[in-house]
Amino acid sequence: MKIRTIRYFIRQSFSSLWRNKAMSVAAISSVFAALLVIGIFLTVVLNVDYLATRLESQVEIKVYVNDGLSTEVINAMNKDIKGLSGVKDSMFLSKEKALEEFTEQLGENSNLLDGLEEDNPLADSFIVTMEDPRMASNVTTAISAMSNVENVVYGKEELEKLLNITYLLRVGSLTIVFILVLISIFIISNTIKLTVFARRKEIGIMKYVGATDGFVKGPFFAEGILMGLLGSIVSIAIICIGYHFGIRYIEQQSLGFISITLLPIASVFYNLSFSLVLIGIIIGSLGSMISIRKFLKV
Amino acid sequence: MSSFKQLQLYVRWKGRDLLIEMVNVSKKFGDGFRALHNVSINIKNGEFVFIVGQSGAGKSTLIKLLLKEISADSGSIIINNKDISKLKRKEIPYLRRNIGVVFQDFRLLQDKTVYENVAFAMEVIEAPGKDIRRKVPIVLSLVGLSKKSDLYPHQLSGGEQQRVSLARAIVNGPSILIADEPTGNLDPDTSWEIMKNLNEINHRGTTVLMATHAKDIVDSMKKRVIEIEEGIVIRDEQRGGYEV
Repeated sequence: MKIRTIRYFIRQSFSSLWRNKAMSVAAISSVFAALLVIGIFLTVVLNVDYLATRLESQVEIKVYVNDGLSTEVINAMNKDIKGLSGVKDSMFLSKEKALEEFTEQLGENSNLLDGLEEDNPLADSFIVTMEDPRMASNVTTAISAMSNVENVVYGKEELEKLLNITYLLRVGSLTIVFILVLISIFIISNTIKLTVFARRKEIGIMKYVGATDGFVKGPFFAEGILMGLLGSIVSIAIICIGYHFGIRYIEQQSLGFISITLLPIASVFYNLSFSLVLIGIIIGSLGSMISIRKFLKV
Repeated sequence: MSSFKQLQLYVRWKGRDLLIEMVNVSKKFGDGFRALHNVSINIKNGEFVFIVGQSGAGKSTLIKLLLKEISADSGSIIINNKDISKLKRKEIPYLRRNIGVVFQDFRLLQDKTVYENVAFAMEVIEAPGKDIRRKVPIVLSLVGLSKKSDLYPHQLSGGEQQRVSLARAIVNGPSILIADEPTGNLDPDTSWEIMKNLNEINHRGTTVLMATHAKDIVDSMKKRVIEIEEGIVIRDEQRGGYEV
């Protein structure tokens, strides 16, 4: 295709957008509305995903070992555990340290533990954190087989539930976004159909003087992309402004001891703007191509 | 040179001279209406042909077939030595670039000036801007509208609007100009202006096909007349009149 032709398409799309102002505003508004819903949904999904990832990374395996192991043995074990695939880090926690932490946790009730320093009932342990929580089960089996290991504990059921939930969230959210995109393409193709209908005479003349289908479609294609772009820019702006204020409000609400940490706005903007611009362009161009089809039959 | 060889040469020359060749063309519509039946017409390069007949006789169907807006059920239509019944959808635009069309209702774009309306026909076939700037003024002066090139269609009379559409039809230099009732919306004096323009275009080498009801125009132009009635060619005579 000639550069002259592409320039012509772009020029035409701008002038058509300007000439059919009311229709353009309607079409851009529907792109905007669709992208706003998709965008808000994506923002929630991003945060849920963020939360899930954080929860997943908090999965810990506790490895209780025999009493009185030498430092060499402890270091060797630590090295072996770290070497297992899926393991992020492993840290030795002596029983004295464990008691200290326990005491701290109990706070003013710590007197319950008085006297236990002499006869510490706790065991030495390793705290293993996971790179990939799905490997937890394998890692547990591997560690259980090591010598000097007394017991391995991890929240198997809880972890599996969490993994299921996050998986469902990811798949489900993608499906819903896909459905929303389809619905928006339908709505937008109907809106653009009106602008095409308003210009059917022009299309008819173009066909009579020998314009190719591609040439007739070009300006509408460009116009669809332009409308998608404008709609997405507006929706990104509004979602980011809303998020900026929303994040403050939500994080100020302390829900007892659980603190909610949301994604920083920069990261939301970064993830969102690319997808929304892309979805906007897809919606706009597909919508206009669907709506122009039947007017080409001259 | 033997007379056989002469005949051969003549036939070959004659073949090349033929611009439109319709052989046994028939077209029925979905509801069974017989629009054209076994129509055979030959039109030579440079001819001026009137197609007459009552409304619904098949004139519009004939024009639509030539433009490949619809396809014939049977028979062949050969334009410029190319059988258009075998044309792919992608090739249709290139057929139409060789055929200019003028309609009864002008079909101008109201939001474009006279100049822009004519230039539009060149823009959409991706002609270079240089050519557009050179050719549009030439055709506008040919139809006598040089001074009105910056006006909009609603500022023009009906005859002037039809001349804009004439200019648009010939700006790409087609070898055929099809005019479907070009004077149908015009008063007699203005109609004659249009006929003068058509005659001039014909003299410059473009073959003109004009479907019309205008008896007085056909009678006084003394051109070839093809009469269609109920989808059948009932008369084809050189220098004919509207009626026998």
